[in-house]
Amino acid sequence: MHIQTGARTDLGRVRKNNEDSYYMEPALQLYVLSDGMGGEAHGEVASQLAVQTVLTHCRQGENSRTTPIFGESSPDVSEKTNRLASAIHLANRKVFETAASNPEQQGMGATLVAAWIDGPRLSIAHVGDSRAYLLRAGSMDQLTADHSLVAEKVRVGILTPQEADASELQSVLTRAVGTNSSVEVDTDEQALLVGDVVLLCSDGLTRMVTDPEIASLLLTSTSAQESADRLVDLANDNGGVDNATVIVLRVVEKSAGIFERLMFWKKNSG
Amino acid sequence: MSRLVLKFESSALKEVPLGTRPVTIGRAPDNDIQIDNLAVSNYHARVYVEAGSLVVEDLNSLNGSFLNDMRVERAMLKDGDAILIGKHEIFVDQVHDVAAPAEGERKAPAPRVDETMVLDTKDRRKLLEMAAAVGERSQVAPERMRIPTLTVVSGRTDKKEYRISGKLTVIGHSKMATVRLGGWFTPDVAAQINKHDDGYYLGRGDRVPKLNGRGIEGLAKLEDGDVIQVGRVRLTFKFRD
Repeated sequence: MHIQTGARTDLGRVRKNNEDSYYMEPALQLYVLSDGMGGEAHGEVASQLAVQTVLTHCRQGENSRTTPIFGESSPDVSEKTNRLASAIHLANRKVFETAASNPEQQGMGATLVAAWIDGPRLSIAHVGDSRAYLLRAGSMDQLTADHSLVAEKVRVGILTPQEADASELQSVLTRAVGTNSSVEVDTDEQALLVGDVVLLCSDGLTRMVTDPEIASLLLTSTSAQESADRLVDLANDNGGVDNATVIVLRVVEKSAGIFERLMFWKKNSG
Repeated sequence: MSRLVLKFESSALKEVPLGTRPVTIGRAPDNDIQIDNLAVSNYHARVYVEAGSLVVEDLNSLNGSFLNDMRVERAMLKDGDAILIGKHEIFVDQVHDVAAPAEGERKAPAPRVDETMVLDTKDRRKLLEMAAAVGERSQVAPERMRIPTLTVVSGRTDKKEYRISGKLTVIGHSKMATVRLGGWFTPDVAAQINKHDDGYYLGRGDRVPKLNGRGIEGLAKLEDGDVIQVGRVRLTFKFRD
C-alpha cells in the first residue's frame, strides 16, 4: 500500500495568530499535528516545539535502538506506538521546562495528535482535543477520545452529546502537552486497508464542520490535498472561529513495482 | 462583615473586607487583590455591591473568571461561592450585611470560552472522582479482568491458540499478524480485532470475516464463545482466567 498525503493549515476568520503546527515526514510515514495555547505568540511556540520534539525523537528511535523511552511502555501496543507515546512524553517535558524558564511563556501548552504508519499498522497517539478519524468502507469513526471537560463528562454519562455541543466550556481541556510536569498519553492501533482515509485535525475544523459533513467531503474528493483544502475552506465558510489544520492520509494501491512491470512487459511482448 | 478570601492551593493568602467601594482583582499592583501570575490580566475582575446584591464582573480578561466552574461575565454571588481566576480561588465569606440574591434572578448569560485552557489538576481530580462514582454504578464486565484468546477450530494457522490482549490483533498473511495465515492469495490483513475501552471488536480486513456464521457489517463486539471465520480458518473467541 502507498500513502497519499495532503495538508493545510489556516488562520481562520477570527484569530490573529495561527497557533497550530503540523509536520509530515514521508520518509518515516510520520504525521504530527498540534494546536498551541497560551496567548500572545506562545501557543505557536508550544505547538512548534511539541511537533519538532516528536519528530526528532521518533527519528532518533529509528536510527538507534538505544534511544531512551520516556514515560511507561505498554505491553498492549507495538514498539512503534510506544515510541510515539514516548515522543509525546518528551515533548511534554520540553514544553513544560521551556515555559518554566521563561516567565512570559508560563502556562503555554498544546494538544498533539500523531499518526505513524508501518506496513499495514497505523499507530495513533494523542493528548488534548485534536482528533484522528478513520474513514473505512463509507463510514467514519473517531479514533481518539477528546481530553476535554465536556467530552469526559459525556463519557462518564453526566452530560449528553447535545449538551456538550452547546456547552460554553468546550475549550477547557483535561490534558495538554506542557502544562504539567507529566502527562498521560492515549494510544491506538489499526490495521490499514487500501481505500482507508485517515484524518488528523485541530478543533478549528471539528467545531465548524460536523462529522457527516467531514465524511461526505472525504468520500467525494479525488485526492488527499483536495480533501484538505475543501475541509479548511468549509471550516472558514462556516465561520472559521479558530485556526484549522488538517492532515489527510489516503491509503492507495501501491504503484506498480519493477516486478509487476516486468511481468506486464513479458505478458504483452510474449 | 463580608469579606473575600484569596486562596492558592487551599492556603489563604489574603483577606479583603467588602465595603461600599468595589474590590478590584488583577495582576497590576494597584489592585485590592493582586495576583502576580501571567494567567491573570492586569485588571481582571471586580466585586461590588449593587442593589443589595454582591456581584462579580469580569473586566474582559484574557483567561476569564469562573464562578463555581462556569465562566462568567457578570454574576451574582452568594455566601460560599468560589471565584476562580487563573489558578487562584477567591471565596465569598458573607455573614449578614449583604442581602443574598433572590432565587430565580437571571444571571448574565455566560459567554463561550474562546481561549483554550487546561483544567487545574485539582479540578481534574474532582472530575475523575465524579467519573469514578458514575463508573461504580455501571459496573465493569468481569470478562475484562480475564485474558481474551482465540482457539483454532479448523483451518491451517501457525498456532493452536493465541492470546490477544493487545490493542490490535491482525489475522492475515502480514508478518505483523498475530494469527498468521499461509496461502498465496491470503491478504496481509484478512481481518482485525481492536481493543476498545469496553471490549474487543471484530473488524474487516481485505476480507469480511463471519461472526457466528454471518458476515459482519462495520465493527462487531465479541462475546465469550463467538466463532470467527476468515476464509477457511475458524476460531473461537474465549476469555480465560
